Amino acid sequence: MRWLVACLLILVSTAATAETFRFTAIPDEDQSRLEERFDKVARYLEDQLGVAVEYVPVKSYSAAVSAFRNDQVQLAWFGGLTGVQARRLVPDSRAIAQGKEDAEFRTYFIANHDSGVDTQGDDLPKNVQGKSFTFGAKTSTSGRLMPEYYIREQFGAPPKSLFSRVGFSGDHTRTIALVESGTYDIGAVNFKVWDAAVADGRVDTDKVDVIWKTPTYPDYQWTVRGDVDGRYGDGFTDEVRQALLDMHDPELLESFPRQGFIPADNDDYQPIEDVGEKLGLLR
Amino acid sequence: MSAERAPGLLAGDSLNLRLARRSLGLIALCLVLLPFADLAITTHDPWAELERMLAGLLHPDMLATESLPHAIALTIGFALWGTLLGVVLGFPLALLSPRSRLLRGSCAFVRAIHELFWALLLLQVFGLSAVTAIAALTIPYAGIFAKVYAEILELTPRAPVDALPEGVGRLSRFVYAELPMVWARLSSYTRYRFECAMRSSVLLGFVGLPTLGFHLESAFREGRYPEAGALLWVFYLMIASLHLWGHRRLLPWIALGSLFLLGPWPDIDGALLWRFISVDLWPKPLLEGNWSGLWQWFGEIPDLLPAIGNTLLLGLMGTAGSLVVALLLWPLASRHFGNRPTRMAGKGVLILMRSTPELMLAFIFLLMLGPSMLPAWLALSLHNGALIAFLVARHADAIVPGSHALPASSRYTYELLPRLYGGLLALLFYRAETIIRETALLGMLGIATLGFHIDSSFAYLMFDQAFFLLLITAGLNIAVDALARRYRPREIADTPGERDRPAGEATC
Repeated sequence: MRWLVACLLILVSTAATAETFRFTAIPDEDQSRLEERFDKVARYLEDQLGVAVEYVPVKSYSAAVSAFRNDQVQLAWFGGLTGVQARRLVPDSRAIAQGKEDAEFRTYFIANHDSGVDTQGDDLPKNVQGKSFTFGAKTSTSGRLMPEYYIREQFGAPPKSLFSRVGFSGDHTRTIALVESGTYDIGAVNFKVWDAAVADGRVDTDKVDVIWKTPTYPDYQWTVRGDVDGRYGDGFTDEVRQALLDMHDPELLESFPRQGFIPADNDDYQPIEDVGEKLGLLR
Repeated sequence: MSAERAPGLLAGDSLNLRLARRSLGLIALCLVLLPFADLAITTHDPWAELERMLAGLLHPDMLATESLPHAIALTIGFALWGTLLGVVLGFPLALLSPRSRLLRGSCAFVRAIHELFWALLLLQVFGLSAVTAIAALTIPYAGIFAKVYAEILELTPRAPVDALPEGVGRLSRFVYAELPMVWARLSSYTRYRFECAMRSSVLLGFVGLPTLGFHLESAFREGRYPEAGALLWVFYLMIASLHLWGHRRLLPWIALGSLFLLGPWPDIDGALLWRFISVDLWPKPLLEGNWSGLWQWFGEIPDLLPAIGNTLLLGLMGTAGSLVVALLLWPLASRHFGNRPTRMAGKGVLILMRSTPELMLAFIFLLMLGPSMLPAWLALSLHNGALIAFLVARHADAIVPGSHALPASSRYTYELLPRLYGGLLALLFYRAETIIRETALLGMLGIATLGFHIDSSFAYLMFDQAFFLLLITAGLNIAVDALARRYRPREIADTPGERDRPAGEATC
């Protein structure tokens, strides 16, 4: 009986390895028509890698991490912090590439004009104290982790004791909307999302504007499971990395949105891991 | 006692006086505790955003969402299978639970945890799959069915059983003499539950399962209001047309058909499952037997007491608010007031309010009033109040008015309300448990309830902490439910239709 079960398990697991290579990605802005856009990326990877590739639409980074952990996806486009979370959960998984913009990512602190905070200097203005403030999503690197780090570094106090209220808008676009409407005085937002919103005229800069830009830090990256070489053939990880680096079609890159991809490895994200541990978001 | 000698205001022993004392007590308690709630209004300039929202609702873009039919089919499929399996598990539990305290306790526990939190737990093991979605509905629904079915079965008339000759087996007695007597009630409650499941199924999309809610939440969060508007309308239409497509004969076919859409089924990694259950859910110091470490672990849980306080306070405020809203709104949908067009409109408004996910209502109020407990309070009160008002209006329609000559206000105060009030309060007290469960959801808006911290713990992948907070939440819900049951009016008002319906219909 035990043998039967064992055989059955082997059968099932081999059936599962003659398998499709699956990936997921969540763009940091505009999550509409995900499948349509990323199916094109899947077709591209399929051509480059010679295996069937499928895109799995995911809504939040914590869902992406659990899909990665459950082996429902073998490759994922993670944020800085969520990538660290995922690599801690899945031993031997590796960061292989990042966006050209991600080596020097930034957070913008934005403020509603009526709040009276509008000086743009080298530091976060002192008079943000006592104002209401919103982060983005709880595990966003640019909307939570790094802004909290810089707030603590400058003021030597946690956001909760610095601001009159601390919220989590859940999304960069929503952070902008909430600060523009004055619901919160100040917000922390991914610089790319802000720039795109300003370029498209989706934000009224008479009502809300940037008050401080953080120093740079590493953010989004592609992470691949450690067992893919064994499952899809020797050197598969390198092939995936090369395919990503060779992606030059603007239509594909638009989906992320990035100008292109450059190599990265786990060590690039050590600063993020350190900050995550310091703030108690990783343990 | 003095009350017996000289009855004063609200003193006395009649049913309605007792009901009045309980309601006023509830509202008084709410008012006394109100100063502890954070209710600051910081009005600013929400109009641009609200205008965009309204424009989106009025000019919905039906083509913006990709694979909309697929999302609709999955929403229905998850709801149908979740309900069906809930019935399959819940019915035997209903038969057994009156005899076992342990069983009753387990049922109370599984239904005390919100569907979304079940989904977040199951997500870790079954990933983004139909198993997660269906199990997240089935588990709490089994507990709910066990409770409500047991209550219905308790009311089985004895006469047919007594008429049976001696020596009839237990099974035959049940199938031929008991079940037929309550069949109509059981099936009507099950249908009602299916409607609840549709709503829950949409909500499951909020945590990433591929239902309508998946697209609705993204579109709403990113301010793509024409798409969000279209999805909301689709959802309202699905609920409103349920009686057309949710036919008894059609549902089995829909259930079978949806099976083809639910895959791919996940390969379950046994080692991962075991690790999750045996290691991830428990504090590390506990597993190591390190007691001082456990104390430190406990200390790292953020603001436990304020979170419990906020959860209870918001639950109380939501219950009192729902009472006021229900009292004000039920005439809108009742045949005793207004004319046909106003009633249609009234019913429409109530359906909109009770079907719109509270999270969205709360966000709209957040924009209008600024961050505090106020948006959540309003959202909870309106949503639950409208739901109760809808049911009360249905009860009212079963009443034949004695005198048509009375003006509307007198009809409301002297004729209808006294006969409906017991039922209304029963619904409200039944609802209190659900309201507490929902405060957990609004935590996701940044109001620091227990739900806020549970959501954070899941996001930080600290499953032990999430699990611990879930246990506390479940304990609170069970306590509130016990309290509500203690004060729930047992005397059912003398309206004809009401006797046939369990108060359980207010549970979703």
